[in-house]
Amino acid sequence: MTEQQPPEEQAAPRPAAHRGPPVEVAAEVLDAQGERTAGALRLALRDMAIESGGRDDVPWVRVARENLTRAVDSCVRSPNLRVDMLHCLFAVDYEERIELNYALFSLGKGHKALLKVDLPPDEARADSLTGVWEAAAWYERETHDLFGVEFDGNPDLSPLILFEGFEGHPGLRSFPLHDYEEW
Amino acid sequence: MTTEQTYETVDMMLNMGPQHPATHGVFRMVLTVDGEHVVDVTPHIGYLHRGSEKLAENETYGQVITLFDRLDYVANLNNELIFCRAAERLMGIDPPERGQYIRVILAELNRLASHLLFIGTYAIDLGAMTPIMYGFRERERIQNLFESVTGARMMHNFIRIGGVKEDVPPDFVPRVRALADDVQRGVEEIDRLLTFNEVFLARTRGVGVIDVPTALSCGLTGPGLRASGVAYDVRKDYPHEVYPYLSYKVPVGENGDCWDRYYMRVLECYESLSMVRQCLDQMEEGPVMAQMRRIARPPKGEVYVHGENPRGDIGVFLVSDGTDKPYRVKVRPPSFCNLVALRPMMRDAYIADAVAILGSLDIVLGEVDR
Repeated sequence: MTEQQPPEEQAAPRPAAHRGPPVEVAAEVLDAQGERTAGALRLALRDMAIESGGRDDVPWVRVARENLTRAVDSCVRSPNLRVDMLHCLFAVDYEERIELNYALFSLGKGHKALLKVDLPPDEARADSLTGVWEAAAWYERETHDLFGVEFDGNPDLSPLILFEGFEGHPGLRSFPLHDYEEW
Repeated sequence: MTTEQTYETVDMMLNMGPQHPATHGVFRMVLTVDGEHVVDVTPHIGYLHRGSEKLAENETYGQVITLFDRLDYVANLNNELIFCRAAERLMGIDPPERGQYIRVILAELNRLASHLLFIGTYAIDLGAMTPIMYGFRERERIQNLFESVTGARMMHNFIRIGGVKEDVPPDFVPRVRALADDVQRGVEEIDRLLTFNEVFLARTRGVGVIDVPTALSCGLTGPGLRASGVAYDVRKDYPHEVYPYLSYKVPVGENGDCWDRYYMRVLECYESLSMVRQCLDQMEEGPVMAQMRRIARPPKGEVYVHGENPRGDIGVFLVSDGTDKPYRVKVRPPSFCNLVALRPMMRDAYIADAVAILGSLDIVLGEVDR
């Protein structure tokens, strides 16, 4: 088997235990790593970003739907960002809009970021990222199952976690939790 | 002149599952085979879909923890931990240090139990009947400890938002020390028995190789990615809880084959044992639960938190609208993404190796389907 890595540097000394009330963590504020990532993101998406924010070490940037592929492409190419993994894709149904979140990770550079795209619920349609990452295919199929989002360019959007012939999209807020009858 | 008759050949479809014992649950894959070679594989999942994410939108934050128990039912405490961390980030709570140590001890023991289960079942997948006895014997010790600490063998519901449910029993530290010694012996025994076994090597070396770019493209994480040579471990790279105070190595493989994926887990067992011992040394008396309101009502906002599960990188995306129920909970299950890597791994493998490759991914279907 492979040789072990060289011994790791000694662990950091443990600070004295704190007692009493919990430490308050500032909400919706980026830490140092988050600021670095946000800076790299701003550079990569300078002409596309509509809105931005973030918490801790995960900044987010909202782009227009038409710019999704271009934005992802420049995140992958950007020398400061070098996104190499699509960590996850998740949709959130805000009723007046469906928000797609792409969790983009750069394992090499240690960056984590969310790319947000808003879709109108009556025309939930976005470009597929299957050409960039193999993992996108299953995420998109799942999102298609649960939220009814169409992904242009995904060759196979057949049901993944629902069965064939299931009607409706259970992820949507409008889908009933208790009144649903299968038989 | 002789006439040569040509026969048309077609690829054969071979269905495997959902009741196949080697798929570790209700998982089905359709293999397209050409003779003995696998040309393509189409995995079918969803047989265990319970709508956990949808259910979570209709439960209070405290109740959602029980749903997370049932995602990856082999590593319940790790799942609870990740959800509680996400909720704590939203609320700005920092659990007290003793609570964090208890969390890490339990999570690492859970990782051990999960890896021991993997080693045993993987050996069974390959036709070795003995290691599962050894693996389950050690796992049972850990489960007994969990029962004495949390009151349940599997669905613990012990890690809570802001800390843990209650302090550990008074004999916890000596018990865990004895347990760690026992399990260490057990892991060494399995290691000696299986790791360099001639037949085991023949079945796993060079089988199901995946290179780093493909692994990253598929979203492979955890021991699977480390076996390919990427030293990515969330505990190390994005430290949380008390992990920064512990010294441990991240085992990295070089071939990315089934044997590497197996051996990463064996090495992680040793590292987890060392982490548990360090935690016992460093742990001090104190509160285990942060001071907070009984019913969690995180302020409006969203957070994305990820952590290292035994199977890989689990992520939780949590959106709060300010009420006592989450607006949206999304889990990034490591097994789901690891399954995407099944296709490139299986390409041009033998049918007989299909089970070896699937087993080396160590999937838990409760998590894949949610």
